Parts: sequence; C-alpha cells; structure tokens
Amino acid sequence: MAGEVLVVAEQVNSQVANVTLELLGEGKKLARKLGSPLSCFVIGHNMEAAVDAVIRAGAEKVYLADHPELAEYKTLHYRRVILDELSSWATPPHTLLMGSTTTGRDLAPRVAAFFETGLTADTIELDIGPYEHTSGIDQTKIGYFPECLYASRPSFGESLKARILGPWKDPQMATIRPGVFAKPEMLTEKPEGVEIKKVAINFQPSDYRITIKETLRELEGKIDITAADVIVAGGYGLGSADGVNLLKDLAACFENSVVGASRKIVDLGWMTYPYQVGQTGKTVRPKIYIACGISGALQHRVGMQKSELIIAINRDPDAPIFSFADQGIVGDVYHVIPEMIKQLQEKNTSKLAELKVK
Amino acid sequence: MNKDLDIYVLIKQVPDTRSKAGVNPDGTIDRAKAGKMLNPFDAFALQAGLNAKKMGGPNSRLFAVTMGPPPAIDILYQTLEHGADATCILSDRRLAASDTLATAYALCRTLEYLFKKNGRKADLIFCGLQTTDGDTAQVGPEISERLDFTQVTYCEDFSISDNLLHAKKIIEGGTQLVSAELPALVTIANSYTKLKFKSLRGAQFVQDVKRASKEEQAKYVEIIDLDKCEADEMRCGLNGSPTIVSKTWKIGVVGGNCKMHQGKAASELVSEVFKDAVMLKEFVKI
Ligand SMILES: Cc1cc2nc3c(=O)[nH]c(=O)nc-3n(C[C@H](O)[C@H](O)[C@H](O)COP(=O)(O)OP(=O)(O)OC[C@H]3O[C@@H](n4cnc5c(N)ncnc54)[C@H](O)[C@@H]3O)c2cc1C
Repeated sequence: MAGEVLVVAEQVNSQVANVTLELLGEGKKLARKLGSPLSCFVIGHNMEAAVDAVIRAGAEKVYLADHPELAEYKTLHYRRVILDELSSWATPPHTLLMGSTTTGRDLAPRVAAFFETGLTADTIELDIGPYEHTSGIDQTKIGYFPECLYASRPSFGESLKARILGPWKDPQMATIRPGVFAKPEMLTEKPEGVEIKKVAINFQPSDYRITIKETLRELEGKIDITAADVIVAGGYGLGSADGVNLLKDLAACFENSVVGASRKIVDLGWMTYPYQVGQTGKTVRPKIYIACGISGALQHRVGMQKSELIIAINRDPDAPIFSFADQGIVGDVYHVIPEMIKQLQEKNTSKLAELKVK
Repeated sequence: MNKDLDIYVLIKQVPDTRSKAGVNPDGTIDRAKAGKMLNPFDAFALQAGLNAKKMGGPNSRLFAVTMGPPPAIDILYQTLEHGADATCILSDRRLAASDTLATAYALCRTLEYLFKKNGRKADLIFCGLQTTDGDTAQVGPEISERLDFTQVTYCEDFSISDNLLHAKKIIEGGTQLVSAELPALVTIANSYTKLKFKSLRGAQFVQDVKRASKEEQAKYVEIIDLDKCEADEMRCGLNGSPTIVSKTWKIGVVGGNCKMHQGKAASELVSEVFKDAVMLKEFVKI
C-alpha cells in the first residue's frame, strides 16, 4: 500500500498558517485516490489549538513535535525533528507537501536533499496518476508506476505548463504557494479517534549553530490583497512608476478594493512584493479583476484566473490576456483608465441622486 | 580583525529576458533566440561575496563557480571584472537535464574539488535567492544540506564577527535577525545592495586574461568535467534526477469568449464595458 500523504504544517505564534489548511484540503483528495491516510506534522510550542485546527481541516493522523525550542521556525531544529521521525518509518510517506513560503522554501529542499528525493517548487496543480518510464540509460528506472504524485507548474521553457513527477523514490515532494488551493470546510467538532503521535525530540549540538536574535513582524504581512472584492492590477504597460497612481485612483472608485501588480513591475520596483499576483506572488479570487497593461503571461494568469469577472485593458489586440478575460478593451491605459474614473464618478453622482430621491 | 575567509559565489547563466528577443508575449522563452545573461539574483550574491571579502582578513579569497555549457564562461569573466580572485565552471554533456537535486550534487562535487585544491573548506557560500529561469530557490539549501553548512535564506543584509554571520533575513510577514556559525550558505534576496559597477582595473585585467595563454587563463577560469571532480555520472543529469517532466501543455485559449471592445473612442469603449459588466455596479463606491 502507498504511504501516507503528509502535510508539514506551518505556524506563527502557535497558530496554523492558512496554507497548511489549504494543503490539507487538497491533500485529502490525493489521500483518497491512494487509499492512504492524510497526516499532518505539527511543529512548534503550545500547539493544542493548532492540532485541533489541522484535525478539523481533515488530518487523520497527527505527528506532534512540541518543545520550547521549536516555538519559532529554525532551519536546523525543524529539520532535525522531521528527519529523525521520518527516518524511523518502515514506509516513508508517499507524498510530502509544504507551503512555498519563506519557511517552506528554506526547509523543504533540506528534507529533499537528505532523502535524495524529488521536489517540485511552486506547484499549481496536484493529482495522482500512472506513469510509464520506457527508456533511458539508467535501466533501474524503467517500469510502470500506477500511483505517482503529479505536480504541475508553469515552465519557463517552450511549452507553458509542465507536469513533473518522480515515482522512483518516496516521499514525492512539492511546495505550493498560499492561496493556490481553497481552504477546506472546517469541521465544527473534532472527530473521535484521530491518533496524535508525540515524536521523539533529540536535538544535537550542531542544531544550535543558528540562533534567532530578534523577530520583527510588521506591515508587509498585513497587506492582504486576497481579501479584496475588486483588484485593479497594473503591468509594464503603465510605462512608469507614476502609472501606479492611476491604478490607485481607479481602485478608489470601488468598495473593498486594492491595487495589484504583475511581477515585472514588482521586479522594477514600481510596486512591492505583497501586491504581486501570480505563480510566485498571491493567488487571488476577487469578484472583479481589472488588468491594466498586463500581457497575461501564464505565470500571472494562474494567480487571477479564478476571478469572477476579468476586465482587461491592453493596446495590443493580440495580447494573451484577451484569451481568458471576460471583457476586453483595446486601448491605451492612459486614455481608458481616466475615462473609467470619469464615468464611475458620474455613476456615483447619479447613484447619489437616486438615493436622495428615495 | 576577522580571520581570512574563503568565499564562494554560485552563479548561473540564464536566458536574457530584459530584451524582447526570444521572449514570447505569453511568457514562454525561445531559448535559441534569446540572449544570455547572469541570473539577476546572482548579481546580488556577487556583491555580497565582494562585501564579505572586505569583512575578512587581508588574505581572504573570493571564488565564483558555475555549471553550464561553455558559453557560461562569460559570466565568470564578469565576476573577475568585479573582483573575484578565481573562477571555475563545471561543464559536461552528461549534466544535461539535471533537476535541482542532481544540480546540487554536481555543484557539491565541484565545491569539494575546489576546497581540496585551495587547501581548505569554504567559510561562506553565497547564492542568488533563485534563478529567473527555474525559480525554485532549491539548489542553495540542497547544497547546504549535503555539506552540513548552516543556512540563511532570503538574506537582506549581513556582517561577520569571529566565526559568526549576523544576518537580517525576510520571513513570512516580517524580518528576522539571526546569527549563524560559519561555514554558512547564504541565499541573497534582491533587496540587498545592488552590484556596483566594475572597476576599470578589473576590466583591464580581464582583457589581459583573455589574451593570455591557455595555462595562464586556467589560473583564473578553470574548466572541469565530471571526471575531474570525481562526480558519479549516474547521479548527474537525467540519470541522477529524481524528477522528470512527463508532459507539457500549451495552454491555449480557454473560453475564447472575451467580449472585445475596440476601434472607438475611449469614452464609448468604457461605457460599452460598463453596460456589459453589470456586476460592476454593486461595487461602485458612493
Ligand atoms: C518562474 C516564473 C515565475 C513568474 N511569476 C510571476 C508572477 O507571479 N506574477 C507575474 O505577474 N509574472 C510572473 N512571471 C513573469 C511573467 O512571465 C511575465 O513576464 C510578467 O507577468 C509580465 O508582466 P507584464 O504583463 O506587466 O509585462 P509585459 O509582458 O511586458 O506586458 C505589458 C503589456 O502592456 C501592454 N501595453 C504597453 N503599453 C500599453 C499602454 N500604454 N496601454 C495599454 N497597454 C499597454 C503591452 O501590449 C503588453 O501586453 C514569472 C515568470 C517566471 C519565469
């Protein structure tokens, strides 16, 4: 039988990160396909509420490492408890999932390198399916594998999306950005009989080579574009950093709205990373997404295609964004956006008038 | 004063996405048409290496290392212009189609070969946070696991005292100050200091090296293969990669039912869209 589907939980101040819950939701589907249990590795200190949350999100077995030294994420300490525990298993997990956060990207490659197993970064789709390896110099790799982890991600190369798999060695690993999968329905009551295994903790002197001096959590985490109903996003077509003001003015016309950005303009420093939408930024699902001067590259599209209504403004009628937007305006952002603002303000006045009549 | 430090910077040549050549509007790359450049993230790592060298004792050394086809030697010359002391490229056909694990293995073999040659292990290894063509950020941590180095990822700033690296790093929703014992592997975020301009002297030096004899050149740009660094070919390239790309798709037009508005004055286009997009009304601010 295939091994477990294991999600390594992420926590801040003993609270489970959303990405962990999202991975449990998606992990459950994989576990059902494999006929394996869905388990969750919880690491931290004072983790009772966290354990409760992961169980209500679908974990059927919990591995718990609770220790004051683990209160905050530390590469070598976290690495130690995971490697010690997994090394003691007769059957390794079939699948191991972590968030593609600064933490997951620090830890997952170390685990993968230790087990010499494959790791797919920034996955946007997960599934279980067969694979037949028919040729290659390494004869030992040839064979039919009925149950592989399929991890798909946009690729930089000639084609647009690539399915990556590695059935030769378990655990088959992937990291996934927050927001890619929907949060599962949380059970209101904790189901009975979920096994909570306290894992052995044996830190080695070498684990103390890294120490945390100070942790500052601030603003950046508070900017959360995923909660907005309306996102006015800009791309390189804005022409310069000043163009961002245009976005802000348009966004100001809507309730619960925020501005967003393509990676190109984040890389250029016109906007900051918390506003980036896409494969390596945020995945958003607003009611309305207005894309201004964004070409619609796949890496951008995967972060916003689930928006309810997509309006695209681009001066190139062949821009890829028009292949998946709902409403397309072929025109210059510097003509179209001011016109939008003007008409919205008129609407606003007429709405106000209406209200007054009532 | 700090002890002498041996510092290594790991860099990669990637397709040039700054120019339009070879870059398709859908974000895909025509590798044949695209130019080549130093991975932009690695420029920050190079600057970090240069700064670290100044923090070390007077006999500190900076080495740049890459893996790739022979044209990648260009980026090694670039590091020499900026002040690297010597460089090395691992180039071998058997490395083709390496995934991150196989890449980390091959680079570790190269590093261990260099540690032996240079008489001691690295004190510091700097990598760019990630590459622009793979974007995994995995190779650095996979190397530190293999070498049993401490690790600081997403590093924005650092100093060195005694045997410790003091670093400011990005974490979820904030930053953290950490101290890591040397030897350490550090991945540098693009919020670090930009790479300074190369010096005239550096440029002149590289001109001289390029004109020098093969043996003289090899002192500054050493080219090695898998045999030279005693790497097991079964652990490299496609053989040594635990992952494989089993399928690729062109994601074409999904619905293809975008309602297009064009060829009219902006005012007309906008009012058309507002008429169609009924939902918009709900969210207009009063
Ligand atoms: C591994 C990887 C991960 C990535 N992750 C992300 C990600 O998370 N998010 C992301 O966005 N990108 C990401 N990218 C980058 C992505 O491939 C594109 O390069 C990027 O999205 C392009 O940004 P853009 O649309 O702003 O710029 P461009 O592609 O340059 O498009 C600009 C558009 O503006 C239009 N335009 C120009 N002037 C005007 C004008 N005056 N009025 C109207 N239209 C105008 C042009 O016709 C063009 O379509 C990633 C790439 C890689 C390789």
